[in-house]
Amino acid sequence: MNILKLIRSSSVLGAVGALTVLLFGGWSGAVIGWLLGTGMGYMSSQTKLIANPKTGAQIGGTAGLGLGIWLLVASLLEGLLLLPLSGRPAIPFGTALLFGLAGLGLAVLSAVLMAAFQGLANPAQKQATRLTLAFVLLIFPFADQIAQTGWIATVIQIQIFAILALGLNIPVGYAGLLDLGYAAFFAIGAYTTGMLSSAHLGIEWNFWIVIWIAAAVAAIAGIILGAPTLPLRGDYLAIVTLGFGEIIPIVFRNLTEIKITEPISSLLATLLNRPELAICLVGCTEPFNLTNGETGINPIGRPSLPIVGTFGTSPFPWYYLVLLLVVFSMFMIGRLRDSRLGRAWAAIREDELAASAMGINRVSTKLLAFAMGATFSGFAGAFYAAYITAIFPSVFDFSVSVIILCMVILGGLGNMTGVLLGCIIIMAADRLYLPKLAEVLKGILNTSVLPNISSPALRDFITTSLDPIQMRLFLFGLVLVIMMIVRPEGLVPSAQRRAELHEPDPAANDSLADVRSAG
Amino acid sequence: MSLLEARQLTMRFGGLVAVNAVDLTLEPGMIASLIGPNGAGKTTFFNMLSGLYVPSSGQLFFEDREITGTEPHQLTRYGIVRTFQNIRLFGNMTVLENVLVGRHCRMQTGLLGTLLRPPKVMAEEAAARRAAFSLLDYVGLGTERAQESAKNLPYGDQRRLEIARALASNPKVLLLDEPTAGMNPNETADLTRFIYRIRDELDLTVMLIEHDMKVVMDISDRVSVMEYGIKIAQGTPDEVRANPRVIEAYLGKDEDSPAVESPAPEPLNGRVESLKDTSTEG
Repeated sequence: MNILKLIRSSSVLGAVGALTVLLFGGWSGAVIGWLLGTGMGYMSSQTKLIANPKTGAQIGGTAGLGLGIWLLVASLLEGLLLLPLSGRPAIPFGTALLFGLAGLGLAVLSAVLMAAFQGLANPAQKQATRLTLAFVLLIFPFADQIAQTGWIATVIQIQIFAILALGLNIPVGYAGLLDLGYAAFFAIGAYTTGMLSSAHLGIEWNFWIVIWIAAAVAAIAGIILGAPTLPLRGDYLAIVTLGFGEIIPIVFRNLTEIKITEPISSLLATLLNRPELAICLVGCTEPFNLTNGETGINPIGRPSLPIVGTFGTSPFPWYYLVLLLVVFSMFMIGRLRDSRLGRAWAAIREDELAASAMGINRVSTKLLAFAMGATFSGFAGAFYAAYITAIFPSVFDFSVSVIILCMVILGGLGNMTGVLLGCIIIMAADRLYLPKLAEVLKGILNTSVLPNISSPALRDFITTSLDPIQMRLFLFGLVLVIMMIVRPEGLVPSAQRRAELHEPDPAANDSLADVRSAG
Repeated sequence: MSLLEARQLTMRFGGLVAVNAVDLTLEPGMIASLIGPNGAGKTTFFNMLSGLYVPSSGQLFFEDREITGTEPHQLTRYGIVRTFQNIRLFGNMTVLENVLVGRHCRMQTGLLGTLLRPPKVMAEEAAARRAAFSLLDYVGLGTERAQESAKNLPYGDQRRLEIARALASNPKVLLLDEPTAGMNPNETADLTRFIYRIRDELDLTVMLIEHDMKVVMDISDRVSVMEYGIKIAQGTPDEVRANPRVIEAYLGKDEDSPAVESPAPEPLNGRVESLKDTSTEG
């Protein structure tokens, strides 16, 4: 009975961990147990009161044990049942048990440690939590390498999108300006980097300079694109930003044959019918190719550091660089939020008219929200361009804007932790779990299911319809619909949003009462 | 010298003339009231004074400087600040944050200061907080509820908070749009005393739109009366009370239910009676 209760109490994270083990197998249980155990230890302090480290360790221990049991069972299932089912050799019972116990042990250990830290007195508790988190993030690449899980490339992608989601959270979450074309700024950051540090235009500046230029260019673009939207609100603003999001990739796609002539002289040339009079400014001998169209810019220069050398195929330096960018973004955005400017954003979001009557300059405040949001996507774009070393216009289309917006909304509008969580969930599901699920499912179908089905039509139907990759957008939409019904304020909402969406609106009650008394 | 002056101020919405060539001056330190039946154009007039509407014609002067068409946030910086008829607090922000937003225009921190947080910025922020706390105390809200959401305050306290938010910008002129709407007699009396107090202690000039005739007659140094967008009378409370045009414009007709449209014409005597009632009460 007790064990059942234990398992149920850790059902959400336990199920995530078990799914991970089932899909990835091997030492992945140990890594995910370590990560989720740490998270669980922290979360136990949110639901239960932890007075001192000892009770914390007890609570964390039970929570970690619940998670560990999930991992252990999943390890055994995976090693002994799932592997042969999907046509791969089964592993011996002992090995599967070892994998499972490693997961269990690390889950308990990390949960105990983290929960015990939550029992410390206040400043020490915060510091210990931060240090643990920093430790986890810093040694993750090594853990990933030792466990051979191969997650690090996806984690780098997650972090790129984390910067984007944090940036989008500024206009959307803080200032209440719905921006549906945020990928445009990502594209501008990436293309600025591409143009300034590749052989394409013959400008090969250092990445460490270019990343700042990219952020600045994106910020300026944010102001330019934000200016026409100033008088607009709500739906109208969203439509205009949507338009910008569509325009920018098309512009990059088409800036391939630029020839600019000085307008007055060219007008004169047409009038006098003497084309040689036109003064050519750009692209005179042959049309100037700025963005290289659909083929994009490739290769783009990579950053280099004194000791590390040029960043290459090893993911380690990239991981630490993008981690640094994420931490930097969070730090800066936190400062923006808790400031005079952050309050002005919140006031604009709450009531633009009253804010303006209270002395807030609507124009500069809104433009700064757009510009600051764009700045961080500029950083993300610069990193992305250097990391992938090739950029194409099609990478920055509308769906990217939508996915980033979904991260912000899913996690919790206006709350950085929530936004990060939303980003991790969507990106991990999309880039890590779904492809692997497709692979495992295909293995199972090919070895265990399809050979037993005689009808070729049915066989065809099963192979095409049971492909998670094909169902990607469907699943995504399904999650969003459920989310909006069950928890519209997001996973970790800001206190303000929660209040907005869940407390009865006094005004609504008043009017209802009025109607009743009148009737 | 006049502090705030409106000359021939007019506001048209399409064919409707909401405010028609109104002249009005505010001298420093006075408490002036603007009264009139519903739809007389009082709030429209306030909206022009506070910059939310740009007048169709006419001019506005503040400390002998023309301010016609100035943006509302700029007017707040000059020292004209207002409250709203239907309270417009930032409901999901805390009480403290609401007051700090009011302080916004008296703070200097720019983008760079926000990001780098030099000691000067931190000092400014701390000073703003201290000022906000003392203002909360001053308006009688106390500091214990500073971290509560503004919308969770009781109605009367929301009115106080709105005034605190307005005062945070160190105004010279405070425009109050129906400050006692929805208050019970006790709260109304409190607020009346409070308006006196801030006028005297903070060197304010106060102008209010008010439907409660008792408040108007008690508090005002001067009363202006509007009807159909036109200023029909102006003077001390006693002068206005005796003015036949004002009596004709059914002054005080809606003291009981300010939200209801003007009732069907009733005998003049009845209106004068109700006017006398209110004046003797106070």
